[in-house]
Amino acid sequence: MLRYVLRRLLTAIPTLFVIVTMAFFLMRVAPGGPFNQERGLSPEIRANLEAQFGLNDPLWLQFVHYLGNLLRGNFGPSYNMPDFTVTELFAKGLPISVQLGASALFLALLLGSVLGTVAALNQNKLGDYTVIALATAGSTIPTFVIAPVIQLLFGLTWKLLPIGGWGDGAFINKVGPVLTLALPQIAIVARLMRGSMIESLRSHHIRTARALGLSDWSVVVKHALRGAILPIVSFTGPAAAALLTGSVIVETIFSIPGVGRYFVDAALNRDYTLVMGTVVVIAIFTIVFNLIVDVMYAVVDPRVRYD
Amino acid sequence: MAASETILSVKDLRVRFRTLDGAVEAVKGINIHVDAGETVAVVGESGSGKSQTMMAAMSLLASNGEATGSVDYRGRNLLTLSKSELNKVRGAKISMIFQEPMTSLDPLYSIGNQLIEPIRRHRGLNAAEAHEEALKLLRLVHIPDPERRMKSYPHEMSGGQRQRVMIAMALANDPDILIADEPTTALDVTIQAQILMLLAELQRKLGMAIVFITHDLGIVRRFADRVYVMRQGEVVEEGEAEAIFVNPQHAYTKMLLAAEPTGSKAPPPASAPVVLEGRNVEVTFRIGGGFLAGEPLMLRAVDHISIRLQRNQTIGIVGESGSGKSTLGRALLRLLPSDGVIRFGDRDISTANRQAMRPLRREMQLVFQDPFGSLSPRMTVGQVITEGLLVHEPNLSGKQRDQRAVEALNEVGLDPNARNRYPHEFSGGQRQRIAIARAMILKPKLVVLDEPTSALDRSVQKQIVELLRKLQADHELSYLFISHDLSVVRAMADYIIVMKQGKIVEEGPTEAIFSNPQHAYTQTLMAAAIDVTRFRLSA
Repeated sequence: MLRYVLRRLLTAIPTLFVIVTMAFFLMRVAPGGPFNQERGLSPEIRANLEAQFGLNDPLWLQFVHYLGNLLRGNFGPSYNMPDFTVTELFAKGLPISVQLGASALFLALLLGSVLGTVAALNQNKLGDYTVIALATAGSTIPTFVIAPVIQLLFGLTWKLLPIGGWGDGAFINKVGPVLTLALPQIAIVARLMRGSMIESLRSHHIRTARALGLSDWSVVVKHALRGAILPIVSFTGPAAAALLTGSVIVETIFSIPGVGRYFVDAALNRDYTLVMGTVVVIAIFTIVFNLIVDVMYAVVDPRVRYD
Repeated sequence: MAASETILSVKDLRVRFRTLDGAVEAVKGINIHVDAGETVAVVGESGSGKSQTMMAAMSLLASNGEATGSVDYRGRNLLTLSKSELNKVRGAKISMIFQEPMTSLDPLYSIGNQLIEPIRRHRGLNAAEAHEEALKLLRLVHIPDPERRMKSYPHEMSGGQRQRVMIAMALANDPDILIADEPTTALDVTIQAQILMLLAELQRKLGMAIVFITHDLGIVRRFADRVYVMRQGEVVEEGEAEAIFVNPQHAYTKMLLAAEPTGSKAPPPASAPVVLEGRNVEVTFRIGGGFLAGEPLMLRAVDHISIRLQRNQTIGIVGESGSGKSTLGRALLRLLPSDGVIRFGDRDISTANRQAMRPLRREMQLVFQDPFGSLSPRMTVGQVITEGLLVHEPNLSGKQRDQRAVEALNEVGLDPNARNRYPHEFSGGQRQRIAIARAMILKPKLVVLDEPTSALDRSVQKQIVELLRKLQADHELSYLFISHDLSVVRAMADYIIVMKQGKIVEEGPTEAIFSNPQHAYTQTLMAAAIDVTRFRLSA
């Protein structure tokens, strides 16, 4: 198992290299640059800035420099927020996004699994239809609708939650954004869980467990649920990578200083280093979580063995 | 033993399933009883309701099923017991083993864990005591090295061993009745015999009653004291096993008893041209390996096999699962890469690529075991059987293709109107006829039949065997007949190859092999399949 993990981490290096290379050159193909906005800098200042950041060097040289810095853990300065390095921006924003994302993911897995299981046990009965209706609503109503509705009801009308802001991470400030992030995920997990639980409940070994006179609790939780959890495990990998790296919409609507906004802002502003930093962070999260998922598979299912 | 005490009595049991097409009655008011310590067989073909009867008794019906009537176990109606009362009977007093040893154990828990759970539940033992008890049970069912096996997972065991574990679980709480639902159907014949002997031995030791649900009259003959014959949800005949075998009353019982395939096949003249020849054919599979993963494991599935098939000949390839018989069939058709020389007619096809093989494909066809999985569910029967014509006779008009479909369906004994319907509307036997029509429409010279009758009921098997024989006689076909079922092979093949672990252990003319098997493995196979001595006389 350890060997397998090491091997996977080793193969992550070429993967990251390919991602970094593609992102680097693709971004340069897009017209414009970090210093030609509409307001316009005078040509001299712009030339100075570009020279300072090495943007006049041949592209391959810039790439080599960037790679060299990256290997030393240096993501470079942000072009549009010159007071900060990219590393500083992530050091401030990433913990916030991770907190929100992890809470949302936890909530989604817990509630989604419970709802899905309830639906499966009541297949084609009222409980099932209720869960399916909620799940369909949850996955079709977009975040940018849910978020303002939460703000409106809980914030303005009932004054239970703050309308926005991070409030230094106070619990009450996290409720709105976490709920908004979690709702669609709860819906997805519930649907996944329902399907795989129905299948699991139909399997032959569940019939065996019933024939042995085991209690419903043991049949459902010990035998059916553990088998049904595998699709949820594989869903968790990409979902975690996406949730933990922040959401533009949620962070914008609730004024959360996370990293979700960076990707869009930086891309629009051609803030090359910040875009690259975001790409690298998301890539690392994706690779790591997929690895964790594969390891979890082996933990849940003894038939899965790596060596 | 109190031989006459009735412990289970099923009265006017009806089982209904709610489906989209309305309610379907699977069991139509049957009466069955089981006395202490006796062996009862419930016999029938698929769809007869024999399994659903026992599923209903155990409250294991699918969620759209409902049972009415009564199932009395020692004075209590199991159908009306509360769930918790029922769970004191299930797995304790009445227990059950199933047809599918590969999937009936939970793949995620160790054998020990799964054995201990029902013991603790029903007997209230602590973990250490239950562990001891589980070890005892594994010894009882002759699992070697039980200490180590307690920690094993189901996937680490063979089908026969898993069935032994199932039996151990069923016996854990000293049941009155063991219901065995086709307990050996999914196993190789030699393993079947071992499991049956084990059940007989355990019954002698423990004295429980056994209810056998089976389609296999061989098992009934060797095992049962009393027999119920079921057909379409009704019991059509019941009585002492001996009486039913000697003097069946109902036409259906007579038909079942006569359904054993009979006859034999004369070998072709020595001068008949050779259709297919393989010399030193070898197939090797790579397992694992790859980037940073080390050396792959090489598995030789077919090991230096030579075979020579003449026109109008049927070679039966016999062996248990994993013996390489299907792999050999596929390699000979060049559907798998192989080493060695393969000649088809006068052409060397050992190295022919896909393009070179394509024109030859119409002359070499393949029929598979599973008539349910091998026909596309989204094509009409007509489309399924004429698909090959589109490739091999592209000049035919739609009308001509349709005409050919009609001919092919007539030839396999199906109503030509079937061509506008979809495969799911047909029974297993009819689907196998469709699969055969799909092969025959191309007018092949060679047909590889990979377990074509294994998924079918005996009476249907017999019809398919007769159909294949007729087609062979009409068209001078050559068959490679791959099967683990010796009685079918005996009726079909004039020459037999016995395979084990990728090698030929014995080969020769059918009658020679059957009358005088030389190799120990062949003898074991024969004994397991043909022997009809009873394991147990009535208690």
